[in-house]
Amino acid sequence: MSPNPRFRYLTDRERVLGPLMLAPAVLYIIGLVGFPFLLSIAFSLSDVTVGDTSLDFVGLQNFRSIVRAPEFRRGLVNTVGFTLVAQLIILVLANILALVLSQNFRGKWLARTLLILPWATPVALGTLGWLWLLDSKFSPIDWVLVQLGLLGPNTLLGPGNHMNFLAREQLAMASVVAVQVWRLLPLATVILSAGLSSIDQELLDQAQVDGASFWRTLFQVKLPLIAPIMSISLLFSFIFIFSDLVVVFVLTRGGPVYYTMVLPVWAYFKGITGGSLAEGAAIALFLFPVLMAAAILILRTARRMEVA
Amino acid sequence: MAIVEISGLKKEFGEVPAVNGVDLSIRQGELLVILGPSGCGKTTLMRLIAGLEQPTEGQISIAGQDVTDRPPRAREVAMVFQSYALYPHMTVFKNIAFPLKAQGRFTKGEIEEKVRWAAGVLGIEKLLDRKPRQLSGGERQRVALCRAMVKEPSVLLLDEPLSNLDAKLRASARDELQRFQRRLGITTIFVTHDQIEAMGLGDRIAVMLAGQVRQIGTPEQIYHNSGDTFVATFLGSPGMNLLDRGDYTLGFRPEHFHPSRGQRDTNGEAEFSYRVSRVENLGADTLLYGTVDGASEETTVIARIPSTMNLPVEIGASNHFVVQSEHLRFFDKRTGKRTDPRPL
Repeated sequence: MSPNPRFRYLTDRERVLGPLMLAPAVLYIIGLVGFPFLLSIAFSLSDVTVGDTSLDFVGLQNFRSIVRAPEFRRGLVNTVGFTLVAQLIILVLANILALVLSQNFRGKWLARTLLILPWATPVALGTLGWLWLLDSKFSPIDWVLVQLGLLGPNTLLGPGNHMNFLAREQLAMASVVAVQVWRLLPLATVILSAGLSSIDQELLDQAQVDGASFWRTLFQVKLPLIAPIMSISLLFSFIFIFSDLVVVFVLTRGGPVYYTMVLPVWAYFKGITGGSLAEGAAIALFLFPVLMAAAILILRTARRMEVA
Repeated sequence: MAIVEISGLKKEFGEVPAVNGVDLSIRQGELLVILGPSGCGKTTLMRLIAGLEQPTEGQISIAGQDVTDRPPRAREVAMVFQSYALYPHMTVFKNIAFPLKAQGRFTKGEIEEKVRWAAGVLGIEKLLDRKPRQLSGGERQRVALCRAMVKEPSVLLLDEPLSNLDAKLRASARDELQRFQRRLGITTIFVTHDQIEAMGLGDRIAVMLAGQVRQIGTPEQIYHNSGDTFVATFLGSPGMNLLDRGDYTLGFRPEHFHPSRGQRDTNGEAEFSYRVSRVENLGADTLLYGTVDGASEETTVIARIPSTMNLPVEIGASNHFVVQSEHLRFFDKRTGKRTDPRPL
């Protein structure tokens, strides 16, 4: 019994089959990434609003007015700042967790499952959970602090019975960072665990015979060896935090005042809530060069790892 | 004087014993080869000596001190792994300096001096700034050896260090390794499954099987006076011919099995009627495969004849072959252990 001749004909012709197989992906990218991107550039150079959808060219007018707004400067500083601080904390914690998980101990699978849960939870739902945890009246964290004698009259953290996490400038910023760390730590840990387990056991045995202590082995053997994979993990979480809308939107809406404002949230407020599509597009485009640089770095690092 | 003393050493992984009661004593400055087929526990034994594994039972002492419970860094041992395990992100210099830095008792200048000295001994001064991936297999091996010797250990452990080299390089690396070992007089334990390496390198050889040392002795002793049938057949290529003779096993090496030269000397030789079924020409030698009368048809008997000898052998026919009686070996049929000669 011979296979259908026509079918065989198609699968044999790589020049037809290749583009055919690629077509869905190409269409997807053009339709859902390329077209909106070009549209946002067009928007940003026009005076389009939700009420008036005609595209009248206004040059860089939108960019000029955005840059002058205090929210923009704060948003830019916060976007970069949150990203860097969260990144740093993730890096340290993920390394510690990955090292712990590389050991054998009782209940390891449970620890692993718990660790991965934040990643499996939809970001918006997870953040809603945090919203309650940090609530100004009902926060269980406040309650624990009071019980521990750290919060309340004549205590370390002040006379009130509530921390008001999301209402105080520094604490609100710290809360945003904390939630970002919480949701991205699993990914970083899993990537680093994979990196650690890929280290040749003979190298670690060698380090032991060479007399290296735990710290020397960690800093001079393990970490340098997983540096390439670590940089991938860093770049991914960088993009995730830098372009994130959900955490700030759900948790603080940029408040108190606009102290926790980040560019994606402000773009949403301006463009969608405020109806000024042109200004929203212009704000969003500010993220583009940074994200592009990060994407290029990711791809280059990935390629270098393939070669090595 | 024994520098490494091992007694009653056992290591079980779960229920399976990898090393099952080993006693060994290694003398100062000697090169001891641990030889055995894969899975015989030789690498585990080496890892136990290095301190990378904890024994289930037994004791290890190095340079007169019981080190059984000590971590590797408190044992004054150095080890070269099969893969050489060079740190890929460090230059050759940093690789060699690593164990010195880890000891933390040398100044930068002293480390530099020691590294240069060690690199000089192995002739790799020119490679110090390279990364491991820029080195050939032979160069990597030398770097690994250099890193092992630079901290001047009491014992140097080598785990099949030549198995990653191609056949030609292996012969010269073997020679180099032996000269290096003699020159520094460093006590060395060398693990291999390659009997040629073992015979060529070892001052003494310990033959292992199933987690136990079956025989230990000089290469000559092991080869010519094999203690049991396993050692007799494991050494030599091909190994010793064994013939079932009722209540005992008769053995002789292929190179001692040759055509009768005509003059009869019934006291001095054992005679066989040898039916050759296949001839294999190896260049310098010729191997004959066949059977002898008085042994079962399944028992292949091999003869190794120098090619310089003109072969008066007919394939398929019975040939008159002999073994000098001094080359005959007798083994107990049940235990496989060597026994006294018996009348044939």
